[in-house]
Amino acid sequence: MFGRIRNKSKSGRNNSEEIVQTGSYGPIPPSADAVKASLNEIFSNCCDFILREIACGKNGAIRILVAYIDGFVSKNELNQDVVRPILDFLANEESPGGSSIYNRLTDCIVVNNDIHEAADMHQAVDGIISGEAVLFIDGETRALVVGVKAPQGRQVQEPDTETSIRGAREGFVENLLTNTALIRKRIKNPNLKLEMMHLGDRTKTNVCICYIKGLANEAIVREVRERLKKIKTDAVLDSGIIEQYISDNRLSLFPTVGSSEKCDKLAGKLLEGRVAIFCDGSPHVLTVPYLFVESIQATDDYFDHAFFATFMRLLRVIALTTSTLLPAMYVALVVYHHTVIPFKLLLTLAASQQGIPFSPFVEAMLMIVAFELLREAGVRMPKPIGQALSIVGAIVLGEASVAAGIASNLMVIVVAITAVCSFIVPPLLRASMLLRFMFLIAANFLGILGIAFVAVAVFVHLCKMRSFGVPYMAPFAPLTVNDLKDAFIVVPIWAMITRPKILRQQENVRGAKGSQRQEVNIQQ
Amino acid sequence: MEKTQISGIQLYLILLGFLFGSSVILTPALGAGRDAWLAMILAGVAGILLMWVYTTIALLNPSKTLVEILRDKLGKVIGTILSVLYIWYFVHLAALVFRNFGEFICTTTLPETPVAVVMGLFALVLLYVVNSGIEVLGRLSELFVLILPTVVLIISIALITEHDFTAFLPVLEDGMAPVIQAAFVNLTFPFGEAVAFLMVFPHLNRMDNLKKVVISSTATSSALAIFVFARDLIALGSDLIARATFIPHLTSLLIPEFNVVPLVDINLLVGGGVKISVCIYAAAKGLSQVTGTHDYRSFSRAVITFCVVLSVWVYENLIEMFAWAEKLWPYYSIPFQFVIPLLLLLLSLRGKNKPSQPNTENTETESCTSDA
Repeated sequence: MFGRIRNKSKSGRNNSEEIVQTGSYGPIPPSADAVKASLNEIFSNCCDFILREIACGKNGAIRILVAYIDGFVSKNELNQDVVRPILDFLANEESPGGSSIYNRLTDCIVVNNDIHEAADMHQAVDGIISGEAVLFIDGETRALVVGVKAPQGRQVQEPDTETSIRGAREGFVENLLTNTALIRKRIKNPNLKLEMMHLGDRTKTNVCICYIKGLANEAIVREVRERLKKIKTDAVLDSGIIEQYISDNRLSLFPTVGSSEKCDKLAGKLLEGRVAIFCDGSPHVLTVPYLFVESIQATDDYFDHAFFATFMRLLRVIALTTSTLLPAMYVALVVYHHTVIPFKLLLTLAASQQGIPFSPFVEAMLMIVAFELLREAGVRMPKPIGQALSIVGAIVLGEASVAAGIASNLMVIVVAITAVCSFIVPPLLRASMLLRFMFLIAANFLGILGIAFVAVAVFVHLCKMRSFGVPYMAPFAPLTVNDLKDAFIVVPIWAMITRPKILRQQENVRGAKGSQRQEVNIQQ
Repeated sequence: MEKTQISGIQLYLILLGFLFGSSVILTPALGAGRDAWLAMILAGVAGILLMWVYTTIALLNPSKTLVEILRDKLGKVIGTILSVLYIWYFVHLAALVFRNFGEFICTTTLPETPVAVVMGLFALVLLYVVNSGIEVLGRLSELFVLILPTVVLIISIALITEHDFTAFLPVLEDGMAPVIQAAFVNLTFPFGEAVAFLMVFPHLNRMDNLKKVVISSTATSSALAIFVFARDLIALGSDLIARATFIPHLTSLLIPEFNVVPLVDINLLVGGGVKISVCIYAAAKGLSQVTGTHDYRSFSRAVITFCVVLSVWVYENLIEMFAWAEKLWPYYSIPFQFVIPLLLLLLSLRGKNKPSQPNTENTETESCTSDA
């Protein structure tokens, strides 16, 4: 089976290589008619491709082709900044030859600032498909690429997936340059570096590595670059695809690459010395290295009083443990360890179990699966129907199952608490969902001992993992005392003098010392 | 050498788990009855001396494991024979702990499950631990070993109302002999068993900390064990203590309105887990060095399977195991824990004095010539 998959992937790669080869269209022919013919052939059956010919100068001696994709470019800008000046300035010229016209266009005619040269047909086509206008001049083998992209996509708005009480409401959007500008706006520093690269043989998605020079560990930045370069695929539609390719432990349930939609969160991560990866077309920006402890951190923690923040952290830890372990613990106690349960509760429990045909394990499985179905339905369903779903869920799960004698009262409470807790730590939602079933099965076989066995195995796995060379369970294991200030306990922000040491930044101290050194750098 | 390294605090915690782990359910110095605490103090002091011996051996032979030291000091043939014996000793120790664990679980929590099933599943988990390397074991210890003193604290606080301080009296009713006998038993179990750590010491990242870490860990574990015994004695009285099989477990049953047996189970899982992991690691690593292969992982699976089978096969029942562990184990351990290590210490000290002097002379002359 594996052989087959490998064969498939091999043939896929061959295809993509062919595309790259046919992708080079050779040099730009000097004659405008030849350019026209070849462009029409490349963009055959593309109704959004527009090729306009301008004939100006005396007797129409100067011929210029304007090629662009409709809907991609701002037509106003194109007319104002490119076409009108050409018509104005070149109206009465004799044709002085293609190359001199090209120079005049770049020097004093085209108003737009974002212009560059395309040396061959391939680059010109690249410009057209990435939303720029390209000017071909009769008698010239260079083309002029003019960036007149129309603003695309939705406005900056608050992300639905990550909401916070304190902190900025701005979230990332699908457009990469808007996203990078949002970060620039927060970190006004030339040391914020943005390195662009193109991934995906067919989609040619813009991907951008972002880090603060002098802060992020160079080795990690290098590693990110290497791993991104190694990605061999023809389509990068979302940062999620990049995430899967660059993860350290690709089969692990636990995320080793973080993703966020919030600008202030990302800025914070960058300032801790992490590296961010933007992907055009995705509002989710990736951050590496991503450690276990980050899943219980939230931006609110740093904007709020440290005591409340600490309390919230502890709540999140409790929620994480509860959502993973509670059903398993319940089953273990009911099946194996009656003696642990206080006597009065045991009586209630026995009463509620009476008349239920299933074992606690089957009961728990049924209820958890039912809940997961409802949750998934809630995600996929069109929003207006959501209300109906919640009513059905509440009645079916809460009332009818008990009345019908399928589940006991206590089991409904257990599953409800589990469900509520599972939403408190979103990055580990999926991991804890699957682990819940593993723990449940183990608990049904060996009681608490089974839970302990699985827990040890899970922790071995966690301790083994690394994210871009940084131990995943840091700062707990290996113990980094210095970093415990931002783990279960949050110290006030004015006392958080050092950055997380485990990331091995070049500059560990926040505040005065760091900024002074930066000034020196700039003077040099 | 492998490059995996553990920090001082990790070694401290691994050793603490190793030494204190079995005391969660067994009290080795029980032969002295109510005077066991005296025996434990003696054993603790002797244990620290023993650790001094082991660490000195490790420091005199830096970055060498027990097998390498043995072959180095005693020649290839004798060294290999002794190494194989040591490997057997570690395997046997692991098997004992396995059986201990299995019997405890099957007696207290899962009476209908066969011992072999419990031990087999435990072995699977521990195999994963051992194969993940000593580094991961260190990190796991950082997460889990602190559970041990926490549970001791919880149970002690819960039992604060159950006390009878006269249980200590009369002190030394039968004279010193049983106390010394019990102290010796306690020295061989658990302190002497730490000889397995001679396979782990080379992984410490800063060797100058070694003595401090090991000795403070030993002192902590013996202080904890004495505290636990004193608590049990005060709570249970000397009569019950003399008759019970698993004393700390019995004590935990005294807690009113609440049953903490699962907590004791978890404790044993942590302590026993650390102990077995270290033994299996030492045995597998030793085998790989004896046979000259690089990776111990190819042996660990076989070693752990063998341990489980051995532990099922070697004792008929719980009583036989206890009798063996009490009567024979201490004497069986003498050569491994005392005789050979002392021999190695002497040889290392001699070896150190001899070649190091010409070395220093050489460097001095070299520096002189370079100065000239």
